[in-house]
Amino acid sequence: MEKFFFLMFAITALCSGLAVVTLRNPVHSAVSLMLCLVQVAALFVLLRSPFVAVAQVFIYVGAVMVLFLFVVLILDIKKAAIETFPPVKRRFVGGVIAVLGIELLAFIFASPFGTAPADAAETTTESIGKLLFTKYLFPFEVVSIILLAALVAAVIMAKERQR
Amino acid sequence: MLDTATLIEVIIIIVKAWLLTAIIFSLPMPLTWLERKVAGHIHVRLGPMRVGPHGILQPLADTLKLILKEDIVPDRADRFLFKLAPLIAMIPAFLVFVAIPFGENVTIPFVNREVSLYLSDLNVGILYVLAIGGLGIYGIIFGGWASNSKYALLGGLRSAAQMISYEIALSFACIGVVMMTDTLSLLEMVRAQAGGIHHWNVLYLPIGPVWFVIFIIAALAEMNRIPFDLPEDEGTLASGFHTEYSGMRFSYFMLAEYVAMVSVSVLTVIMFFGGWHPPLDGALFNFVPGIFWFMAKVVAFIYFFMWLRFTLPRYRYDQLMTIGWKILIPLSLVSVLITGLMKI
Amino acid sequence: MSNGSSRITDFIKKALFVDFIKGLAITLRYNVSRSITLRYPDQEKWVPYRRFRGQHTLNMDANGRELCVACELCAKACPTKCITVIPMEDDSGRGIADRVAKVWKVELTRCLFCGYCEDACPTRAVRLGRDYELACFDLSCATKNKEELLQPQSIPETINGGFVVKAKFVRSPEGIKVVPDLRMSKKRLL
Repeated sequence: MEKFFFLMFAITALCSGLAVVTLRNPVHSAVSLMLCLVQVAALFVLLRSPFVAVAQVFIYVGAVMVLFLFVVLILDIKKAAIETFPPVKRRFVGGVIAVLGIELLAFIFASPFGTAPADAAETTTESIGKLLFTKYLFPFEVVSIILLAALVAAVIMAKERQR
Repeated sequence: MLDTATLIEVIIIIVKAWLLTAIIFSLPMPLTWLERKVAGHIHVRLGPMRVGPHGILQPLADTLKLILKEDIVPDRADRFLFKLAPLIAMIPAFLVFVAIPFGENVTIPFVNREVSLYLSDLNVGILYVLAIGGLGIYGIIFGGWASNSKYALLGGLRSAAQMISYEIALSFACIGVVMMTDTLSLLEMVRAQAGGIHHWNVLYLPIGPVWFVIFIIAALAEMNRIPFDLPEDEGTLASGFHTEYSGMRFSYFMLAEYVAMVSVSVLTVIMFFGGWHPPLDGALFNFVPGIFWFMAKVVAFIYFFMWLRFTLPRYRYDQLMTIGWKILIPLSLVSVLITGLMKI
Repeated sequence: MSNGSSRITDFIKKALFVDFIKGLAITLRYNVSRSITLRYPDQEKWVPYRRFRGQHTLNMDANGRELCVACELCAKACPTKCITVIPMEDDSGRGIADRVAKVWKVELTRCLFCGYCEDACPTRAVRLGRDYELACFDLSCATKNKEELLQPQSIPETINGGFVVKAKFVRSPEGIKVVPDLRMSKKRLL
């Protein structure tokens, strides 16, 4: 049963991921990306971590995609559909993608896979919270500072333009 | 593989899901009637009176009319998204109810079987509701874009901006409730408020009322109701994102809007008004079943939202943004601090 | 100084939603107040005051004699010239004098219900009555002649008017009519 659901979600995620890069219309790409992200969230549910799943939907689908769409909607769709992206040599792009793919595969096969059993007995939200504020406190704070920097930068940019 | 006990469980869940969907699907009918009646009486009119006694069958007549109307897809619209958008708007509104509890377990008479009054008690219930509830906005955005009309597009854009601005305040309000009750599960949240009106979160002094006000304002903006219904502002945008929609597709948007209103009322009751707990902890109050208290509170809030709609004028767009970013978000940050201090 | 304190009161007012609550109280009061809707063609009908100027009526005296003496003053007074009077001689006692109207007709499409004919009438024969449902399906009913105008109107002179009564909406081959129920127990003030 679980395998069936996994296959369903995974295949949908892959197909919609492909659609994101192949579709000509940016808005259609955005829809596919949304679908892809929701499928990934479903996979998280299968992995017994509803918090991550909900956070995925909440942040990526709910907030980030709305911002994406906000920009995409004001694009001239017809022009954007004709243009090729990125505007450089195809061969070069292919090379970069190949290097990135090999790197990713290498990491996947190098990492100890499936040897870390998740502690399902604990409430995941609680354990995530505890981990964030004890073991991973430093990375957590670093991430917050990066986000704060982005926030301040955005405010300053808006102010500069006003003058 | 499946023994009898699991089979019965599965059947119960299916029946519950079916019942819930049926109820929620038919809820907008009495609600449109109620809204028009409330509107009428606030305007010192009578409202619909001609179809059935006191116009009670008016929604049926309206539905019939909407079904029989021509289904128009504008020329050069994005046909696929145009047809998809109403469904995207409608489905999340229904999905929200998966996590919402309506009461403690009840025993069905005759069969003598205990049944829970919720589909699933997610331990991240409130986050789930926020996340899924937020998806409804895509229906509005896509509907506005796919219509190939500038008014609809502007409605969609406004909606996107409004959504981003108020989602933050709404989430903060939920964080406030989570801090007050120490749980993310909606069921536990209600249990934490048992024992009379002074235990309800809205009277968690001094910060409870502030959270309640933040939540109500942000929720009004999230469900696009007056005074924050900028996406469908008739005065400036024809009727916003659904300008080009007609017939059943239009009614899906309306359906989503009403279901959103119900879910916001339900959430308000669960988060701030003690869910199915009676206002006083006496034998007489406990005798009345919890579901009754729950429904009474929800109906009161639905009336409150309608009452607001016919009292307040619509905000201007810049006022909307000012309220969101310059008042609600700083206020909720301060409130988080105060709530944290109270919890120490 | 006063500016500062008024700003503080303004802030407190805003923070406590004072104006919102005032507004909500007003709408709530209206919500529970009685509606002013007149459910006109279906169930209710407005009975006008006596001073109301509706369709013309020609009066008769207590013995059933026509009061009109066909002096044509009404036709002269009429600003739109919508009244036509043709006199004739008749000593059979139809009218109060020997001179009666052979034709007395009014074109309601042109009449502006000013009431000058009423003022001009020396015998108080013509009056503007209280029938106001004058719409019809063709032009034939736009001209009312003497025979029709001599019929008593639906609301008798004895009723003062100025209230709403229950009424019945009647559909017939001749057209549609709203028949008021003039029993005084059924009336309500607007």
